[in-house]
This record gives sequence, C-alpha cells and structure tokens, in this order.
Amino acid sequence: MLELKPAPLATVSPPVSKLLQEGFYVRFTDEWPGTLSEVKGKLFQIDRQTNQVPYDISRIIPEDDYCDIDLSNATGGENIYPTNSKTLYQTLIGFKPGNYLVHFYIPAGEYVHRLEQAGMVPDVTSATRKYLGARKPEDSPYDEKRIFFYAVKDLEPLILRTYVDLGIDFEKIVIGLLVNKCHLRQIPSPTAEQLAKALKIDYYTELRW
Amino acid sequence: MPSKYVDMTTSPSVIAKEKLNAKIIPTLLMVDNVLGVQNAVLTLVDRFKPSVSNKVAGPTTKTETRLAINVSMEGCVSLDEGELKGIEFLGAPEVAVLTEDANCKVTMGYKFQ
Repeated sequence: MLELKPAPLATVSPPVSKLLQEGFYVRFTDEWPGTLSEVKGKLFQIDRQTNQVPYDISRIIPEDDYCDIDLSNATGGENIYPTNSKTLYQTLIGFKPGNYLVHFYIPAGEYVHRLEQAGMVPDVTSATRKYLGARKPEDSPYDEKRIFFYAVKDLEPLILRTYVDLGIDFEKIVIGLLVNKCHLRQIPSPTAEQLAKALKIDYYTELRW
Repeated sequence: MPSKYVDMTTSPSVIAKEKLNAKIIPTLLMVDNVLGVQNAVLTLVDRFKPSVSNKVAGPTTKTETRLAINVSMEGCVSLDEGELKGIEFLGAPEVAVLTEDANCKVTMGYKFQ
C-alpha cells in the first residue's frame, strides 16, 4: 500500500498510464485485517471514470526539528482518506526541493522502513539513524511523483515525519499530493485472467519484515 | 515572472505576500539611489511564521535577513539571477532601509518554486 517506484530506465510506446483508470482491476491481499472486511482478499474493478485531485501541504520547520503530518481523517489530520467503503484513493506523493527528510509511519509510531539488525530503526534524534529509511525530496520530485500510497475507508493513519536537517535555520517543506479517486465494484468470482491483470495492493504489515 | 517596485518612503516595504505552497526566488534586484540624499543601507528580509513543530509548540513570526547591500548616494546597483543564486524566501520578502528616502527606488523580480 506504500511503494516507491524507481525512475524508469526505458519508455514504452504507446505510453502506459501509471495511474489506475476505469476498467482496471485491483486486488487486496488476504493480509488485510478483518476490520477492513470490505476489501480483505477481494478483487475489484474500477467501474467509473477516475478523478485526479491535486493538493499541496506545506510547513516551515526550524533546523533539527520535525513535525508529523497525518494524512488520515482523524482529528488534526489532513483528511486525505476516503469516507466511502467503495472508494479507493491512489495517492501520489512528491516533494519540492529542500534540506529535509521524510520518514513514513503507519500507524503512528510504527516505522515502515527498518533493517533486521536490532536497533537499526529510523530515529530523527540520532545523528546517523535519521538517514535510515528516510526519503529525500529528490527520491520523489514534485513534478515526477514516484511514491504511491493506497488508502481505503478506516485504514490506519499514514504519518509523514518531516525533519529539517542541520545546515539551515528554517526550511519550507512542500508536499505535493495527487489523489486519484477510484470507485470500486467487487468481482465476486474473478477469472484467472482478471486475477493476473489486477494490481496487487499489500497491507502495510507486509512491508515490515 | 512577476516584479515589484517600491520606493523607500516606508521601511520595511513588502515586495510580495507569502505563498503557502512555494518559496519565492528573486531573479532581479535593482537599487536606484541616483537621486538619494544619503547612502542606502538595505536589507532583504524574509518574514514568516513557522509551523508548530516537535520542539516549538507556540511559534512566533520570524524575520530572517537574506541579503544586505549598501548602495552609495548617486549610485545604482543591479543583481541578476545568477548573482542572486541561493537567495530564497520562505515567507514574504520585504525591503528595509536604515534611513527612509523616497528617492531610493528598489525593484525586485521573482519567481515561485
């Protein structure tokens, strides 16, 4: 449900959209919890024209400090999650240039990226581990977004910990979002072809291993 | 790209309002002090209010000096984009002068990033 697509090495002609479109299939894995039974283990087809909604979030943060940006609809959040159980938000995330790092947590306090060795977890208060699992603005530029996030109703909050690194008194952090709104229609008995064509959407726990 | 002219009758003079989702990058700075009655001691100031952060629960408005320049009486100085490289405003750019003078004229061109 959270992936960083690398810069392409080759282009395809005619070009293939990287955004989900009407008619595409999506499949949620069995790892999705029972609390999200509307999507757990099910295959859907996008049955309406999708709608792309851009949005910018900005903060000005002092040196060696951070703020957490919650994308969910919780109190204090940015309200980027759907409220309809038949809606999937495919959100592209990009960053404007600056001297800052972004760590992903889902839910709050649970980091997405860590290594196997004990203690090798992201920590913005550590001089070295602040760079562990951190995304830099150039990893997903504002004009060429490469981080994809998939949200459904009642998904746990995705938190972006935006940290201004040393070397600058203050920094303006601008996060560009492009929310691709998709309306889902369940396919109760999918064919092998539909399963093969479907975009597989993992639950966030599948990223932590 | 927009530009703004101000004379230094009032100090500080606001060049542009803060753009929430972008920095303001100056591309031209021209200070015409040809008819000025004293040397112009100018500063470009960045006025912004930081966001609430982990260490600062109640931030206050900041004014950071981004550029200081002295232009002699009867002088005129122009800086282009290359000479202004590295200067950026997180909030609203303002021009301040040590001694107000209507004959000190400042023009700034800028773009958004």
